[in-house]
Amino acid sequence: MSKMNDKLLIDVGSTYFKVSTPTSIEQHLRDFNKDIYDDLTHKCGNTIKNYEKDDVYICSSANGGLSTLIIGLTNSFSLKYAKNIAFNSGINIIETVMYQNIEEYSVPSDVIDVVIIVGGINSNSNIFGEDLYSYLDKLNYSNVVYVGSEGQAPALQERIENLVILPNIIDEKLHIVEENLKVYLTNLYQEDIEGKEDIKHLYDITSNQIYSTPYIVNKTLPMINTKFSVVDPYILIDIGGATTDIHYSKDLVDDNIVTENEYDRLVFKKLGVYKSRESLIFAAQNNEFVYELLTHLKVTENIFQDQSEKATKVLMQLAIFLVLCKMSHYKQAYINLKLLSINSIVFTGGITKVLSSGEIEDIISFFYKKILNSNHNPATVLDSNYDIWTLGAKGN
Amino acid sequence: MSLLQEEREIILSNEYVDNFDFAEVEDFVKNASKELFISHHFKNKKKMLVQPRGGFPTYKKQFALNEFFVEANVDVLPLTIDSNTRLNDYATAKKMLRLSEENEIDMLNGYPLVNHGYRTTRKMITHFNKPVSLRHGTPDARLLIETAIASGIFEIEGGPITYLLPYSKNFPLDKAFLYWKYVEKICANYSKLNEPINRESFGPLTATLVPPAITIVIQIIEMMLSLEEGVKSFSVSFSQTGSMNQDIVMGAVIKKLARHYAQEINCADATINLVYHQWMGAFPTNKDYAEQLINMSTVIAAMVGADKIITKTREEASGIPTKEANAKTVANTQYTLGILNGLPNIVDKEEEEILTLEVHAIMEAVLNDPADTLWRKAFNSIKSGIIDVPFSPHIINHNEMITIRDAKKNIRIIKRGNVPIPDRCFEYEKAQCDLTKDTTSIVNDIIHDIGIMQ
Repeated sequence: MSKMNDKLLIDVGSTYFKVSTPTSIEQHLRDFNKDIYDDLTHKCGNTIKNYEKDDVYICSSANGGLSTLIIGLTNSFSLKYAKNIAFNSGINIIETVMYQNIEEYSVPSDVIDVVIIVGGINSNSNIFGEDLYSYLDKLNYSNVVYVGSEGQAPALQERIENLVILPNIIDEKLHIVEENLKVYLTNLYQEDIEGKEDIKHLYDITSNQIYSTPYIVNKTLPMINTKFSVVDPYILIDIGGATTDIHYSKDLVDDNIVTENEYDRLVFKKLGVYKSRESLIFAAQNNEFVYELLTHLKVTENIFQDQSEKATKVLMQLAIFLVLCKMSHYKQAYINLKLLSINSIVFTGGITKVLSSGEIEDIISFFYKKILNSNHNPATVLDSNYDIWTLGAKGN
Repeated sequence: MSLLQEEREIILSNEYVDNFDFAEVEDFVKNASKELFISHHFKNKKKMLVQPRGGFPTYKKQFALNEFFVEANVDVLPLTIDSNTRLNDYATAKKMLRLSEENEIDMLNGYPLVNHGYRTTRKMITHFNKPVSLRHGTPDARLLIETAIASGIFEIEGGPITYLLPYSKNFPLDKAFLYWKYVEKICANYSKLNEPINRESFGPLTATLVPPAITIVIQIIEMMLSLEEGVKSFSVSFSQTGSMNQDIVMGAVIKKLARHYAQEINCADATINLVYHQWMGAFPTNKDYAEQLINMSTVIAAMVGADKIITKTREEASGIPTKEANAKTVANTQYTLGILNGLPNIVDKEEEEILTLEVHAIMEAVLNDPADTLWRKAFNSIKSGIIDVPFSPHIINHNEMITIRDAKKNIRIIKRGNVPIPDRCFEYEKAQCDLTKDTTSIVNDIIHDIGIMQ
């Protein structure tokens, strides 16, 4: 039993880490010259030592999580289902490949943490052939998992080394079966964390599984009303140092699938204001509205070279604008949300420490006017005390 | 400020809503004429209420339709909402309304209530001073219902299951339950100010070979969800099945079991009414036959002892009915009801017992779901196929249950899927059908049974 008889929650982000006790929450900017364990125990050692390992719960989004490439047969079923499961397991998708056109895809140069192959219902076989094997030969990956038609599995197992075979994620009625792949990906994420020098020492202070932060946040969403007055349908935007995550109510999409989750997640891996600052600026410069936006904010593009507090604010505002653009019809991304139906937008993560409600509302209203030609004004909610993360972590 | 009130303010701050004045609306409902409340008419009625369907985009045409209806002796006026509003797309509804106003062609298939606003619509509702029933089909009807009640519409049709499974493919069912919970709360709160706001479930579902047990279970669940939020006047409903005997049995069982389950949740003080829909399946293209079918529905409605009948028109098979056709059907239905006196009281004990056992068995499975709230028990039951609506387009529906008509045209379950139909009942259902045929013939029978009245 711990001395304080309750849980200690720790979130390790790419820029900050947060430590939450039942009575307080503290946050610290990470010292990148130290490993996370040393940094954490140096700054919060006194708090941590009050807890038994069983009562310490850690989640992490540090290092960006796992990257995956998905090979599937159709956009409406196999690819859509696998993408949904991967996103909701906290995995970043770097590429999706339609098998029919596999020869037209370029081979990513990055190392892929996990390749997911999916397609067909169980009565189908002879789906994948030589072109799949030759594509995989060119890929540099660490894990490969097959979650498609059972009939195809033996042939694939014979040809693909270390192939993990899990039950098909598509049932005979074309419904999604998510649990097996979700567990596999979540465990893989944990193994990845254990394997990462930076984080594996954290198991010295906890005996619980370390989950990915987006996975924990997604778990919070059905409970969000207990802390905030948020009106469905809503989206939650988590703008951090390295990534931006969007969690959205499923009635905002036309093309739904039946899953266990009431909310889905979308991640923009390179839209953070610290670790992926350069890619955020690059994305901004490629947006045709950005100069109008900078004028609206009364700054010039010189702000991109600036390192001031003002520059961070502007980058945060740009990040909001860019993610809203990516979810609108203006950009065809993973999904298009019905943004005109949104009643609330919730913000969490580092952004709540940098921008005021007014500054956020200003950018949202700019987006709605410029991109959607609408005066719609969703209510803005700021989670400035990390309640969303702590709610999810407690519930897990 | 309460959380509900905060939620209301956010919902009503939508750009397509003009300054919603909560205090003024409350005052209006408090002082509204009793004639506008269908619950008041149910309480004092001497005859079955007759309600047509109908909705036009412009104020002018809707007003003219209502004038026609009043002339035809309607008891309840309808307000059918357009499909853009049903999908919460107020921007398109606004655009199409403007085009409809500027041109002779109607660009919407109903009345865009949110865009017209409550101040304008209220003028029409109070002008006719008759109860109005809101017909829509919206999973997220929060803004629509706020606008409707503020307009003087005190009869709200729909529910999370009955407005979703027949109409939608993808809208998440769990969301629909939560959005309708809001609607129930709003109706319950306004009910305290004057006569109760009536909530009516939509019994026809897909209107295609839906077995009585499924209809009744869904009606009871929607009733319970509504009553547990504080609604005091609720209407369960069903539509003509194609078998007069089955309709009569269904009417008796639904009345009995709705009261039973209302008592189970300590809501016996609520008034439960029965609404009957004239034939909701495919209509004959021959308009004379269509009239016969409608007339037959009226006779059955009288035999099941419905409190209200919702009419169809002779033009059903050929497109959106004109206001003249709508008015004609009201007048004809009123005439038929007027000459139906001294109908025999028919009871089929065996059929009633079988149906009662089926409903209890499904309800027991639903209520035994381990979830902590009724809506989630219902959600889980649909997801797991304990409740299965034949021919529902929604992705969450199992579509494992197969139904067919027997020689007497009763709808029978020949494959139960995950629906916990007791063995004895299932054997009885199958025994009424000729299942010795080959699969192709059975499939052909089902196809024929879908278009049976054509």
